[in-house]
Amino acid sequence: MMLAACSVWLLLVCLVLYSRLKVAASAPTCTNGQAGCHVLSLANLFDRVIQHSARMHGISNDLHSEFELYFLPSKNQIGRVSRNCHTSTILTPNGKENAQRMAREELTEVILKLLVAWGDPLWHFHQSLAHNHEFSNFSSNKSLEMSDMVHELRKGVQKVIEKMKMLGIIGNSLGGLGSSESLLAPVSAEWRLMKDYDLLYCFRRDSSKIQNYLKILKCRIVPEHGC
Amino acid sequence: MADVFSPGLLLMLMMSSLDWLSTPGSAFLFDRDQAKSAPLEPHFTECVSRDLETFRCWWSPGSFQNLSSPGALRVFYLRKDSPLSEWKECPEYNHLNRECFFDTSHTSVWLPYCMQLRSQNNVTYFNEEDCFTVENIVRPDPPVSLNWTLLKVSPSGLSYDVMVSWEPPPSADVRGGWMRIQYEVQYRDRNTTNWEALEMQPHTQQTIYGLQIGIEYEVHIRCRMQAFTKFGEFSDSIFMQVTEIPSTDFTAPLTLILIFGTVGILIVIMLIVISQQQRLMMILLPPVPAPKIKGIDSDLLKKGKLEELNFILNGGSIGGLQTFSPDFYQDEPWVEFIEVDEEEADSREKEDDQASDTQKLLAPPQPISDHRTIRCSETFRHPEEVFDHGSCYSADRLEEDSKVQMDAPPPGQAGDKESSTEFAERTPALDRCRAPPVQTQTGTPQTWVNTDFYTQVSNVMPSGGVVLSPGQQLRTQESTPASEHGAQTKGKQRDESGDMDGQRQKEPQFHLLVVDPEGSGYTTESNCWQNSTPSNSPNPGAGYQTIPPPPVEIKPAASADANRLPYILPDSPQLVAPVADYTVVQELDTHHSLLLDPTPIQSPPPCPSQPPLKTQIPVEYITPDLLGNLLP
Repeated sequence: MMLAACSVWLLLVCLVLYSRLKVAASAPTCTNGQAGCHVLSLANLFDRVIQHSARMHGISNDLHSEFELYFLPSKNQIGRVSRNCHTSTILTPNGKENAQRMAREELTEVILKLLVAWGDPLWHFHQSLAHNHEFSNFSSNKSLEMSDMVHELRKGVQKVIEKMKMLGIIGNSLGGLGSSESLLAPVSAEWRLMKDYDLLYCFRRDSSKIQNYLKILKCRIVPEHGC
Repeated sequence: MADVFSPGLLLMLMMSSLDWLSTPGSAFLFDRDQAKSAPLEPHFTECVSRDLETFRCWWSPGSFQNLSSPGALRVFYLRKDSPLSEWKECPEYNHLNRECFFDTSHTSVWLPYCMQLRSQNNVTYFNEEDCFTVENIVRPDPPVSLNWTLLKVSPSGLSYDVMVSWEPPPSADVRGGWMRIQYEVQYRDRNTTNWEALEMQPHTQQTIYGLQIGIEYEVHIRCRMQAFTKFGEFSDSIFMQVTEIPSTDFTAPLTLILIFGTVGILIVIMLIVISQQQRLMMILLPPVPAPKIKGIDSDLLKKGKLEELNFILNGGSIGGLQTFSPDFYQDEPWVEFIEVDEEEADSREKEDDQASDTQKLLAPPQPISDHRTIRCSETFRHPEEVFDHGSCYSADRLEEDSKVQMDAPPPGQAGDKESSTEFAERTPALDRCRAPPVQTQTGTPQTWVNTDFYTQVSNVMPSGGVVLSPGQQLRTQESTPASEHGAQTKGKQRDESGDMDGQRQKEPQFHLLVVDPEGSGYTTESNCWQNSTPSNSPNPGAGYQTIPPPPVEIKPAASADANRLPYILPDSPQLVAPVADYTVVQELDTHHSLLLDPTPIQSPPPCPSQPPLKTQIPVEYITPDLLGNLLP
């Protein structure tokens, strides 16, 4: 009697797990809105992306303040730093009106450019932190996390762009990943000259930009879900 | 790429920077202690943005009071949007507050701003630390429209939960997504000074748990940009207080009353049960009736007084159980008590085991040599009883008038007994009453073997006598007693004693017991006595013993007629041979005659109309006609 009950229970558990696995396995294949797929809505995608960018910005802020504690520059180096950010060449709206006035495609392109521009520098930043024994493990872990997050955020934004293209919200004027990277090719060399602190400062600023732009975009495209 | 900081330099910088815990962008909060020693030059106190679209800067003349007048100092700013930017003057002054306001057109987010003060003399007071980016100086306005709602009061009525809700600051463009604000709720007991801070969260409502009833609480909220460090100011406080709700007071005593009530009822029930335990036990578990032995006190048994019990059971006294019998068994005539002495029991075992009960019971009292005393006591309540279960001889019989006895054992019994004819002999009859047990005892006891108590009525005399037939084993001998009877009839006057003796030695005689069909069929001692007294008088009815009244009539009549027999001899070859031991009484006549089954060999059918032959007499029954025929 007990054995039978246990076997039935195990069978049920296995069936449930198998069904779950099937669902999970089928998710990647479902990209073009096939019937029966569990497809995320655009608003949901936006929310996820925005949360991700917020977290990324938080980490960058923490790292920057940590750097300021340990490597406090004698003076506020804002003025000095601003000239050295490698992403300064990217035209970004500096105000709310400018951002709201900007077209969706342009805004989306800006976001994508920023994310692409920061992929490699952060990776190298992490490498330098890891090799430098003066930094704590906490900083090194955060830099690694930051680097990973930039990559994932870029993938997420690309998915959002695809979704928007599919829904017809934006046109196909946006180039693919390759074109974005090609745009940033001449910029990519400058970041090697930057110091770690400046890198952090610049990235902190850019992550704030990304977060703001994404929020504006979401509230402009899908405003009904909590803007 | 990265500067290499030696560990020593790092340590030095760390040591020196402990006082320089300035937030990024907050260039105006550097250490003032150093400035106090030196004359304080004009500087900016703070630059704040409330909505990430505009910002303001305030300055102070410092210790230079001559520059405190409005317009003495001018503000210049530099927005580094390109390497070729220039210093520009403040777009909007507010000299009352010494404030410079930058509107949206002059505000650029994510671009560094540097501020500068210039006096009339073109003396520039510039601090490089006064550079910032707008997003880093944002301090959102406090939320508005705070209110609270009671969520739930705890069952104990001591604490409650509250939901506080508010609106985001109107200046912050939260709806457009331009600003993402986090809120921090703080509350405290109004009488205390320490605030309780809850965790930051971006939603516009918050639940506060575990507030105490009766205490007034104060709540205020502040907010800041997500992932930024500068908080806005606190909102206006709201006060909340929940007084005791009377409904809770109502329910609590009610439950208490219920609990105490049930406990009290339980206690009362327990008391009742304990006090009435005996009666309840009787009702619930009625006692099983135990067997009651009359004469034995059950209490004796309970008390374990076995000695008394044994005394009672064994009949230590002569009375023993006997004494109880008349009292306890008044209603049960069939009960008879048999007393047996212990000696008797022992001696009896030595006897022949095949001795029948009759023999045992009828064993006459021995002479002096034999100490055997057999005492039988019979109690007959109804004189109509015909058969007795056991006839006993008792030496005390004469004295016991109350007891009725069957004087003679059935004819099938020992041959030592006299024949029925001898009953007419008075003296020997008397002796027979007494002595026969002795005499019979001297005889061969073997004749007692296999004798029955019961006999068979073969014929009924008109006079009322009953002819008994012997037992089965004595059928062959019946002819001789018949002849003897005939001899007796002829010589009924003979010496009974001699005949008796002779007959004694002959085949075993049988006694005829005559039972009066009308009255009591028992011969009593009085009969015996009476018959014995007129020993010499001719008594035609000597062959049998009858109840005095009827035979008195018949006897003188019978004596005249030699043929008239006091009894009718049955035609033995006709009647005796085929007759079985017992005859079934078919029915009782109205005249109390026994109607017996007709025998197959019976040649003469019973004809009451026929004149009764002397030799042929219907034996089945005798009707009054027959009686008349029979009688002379």
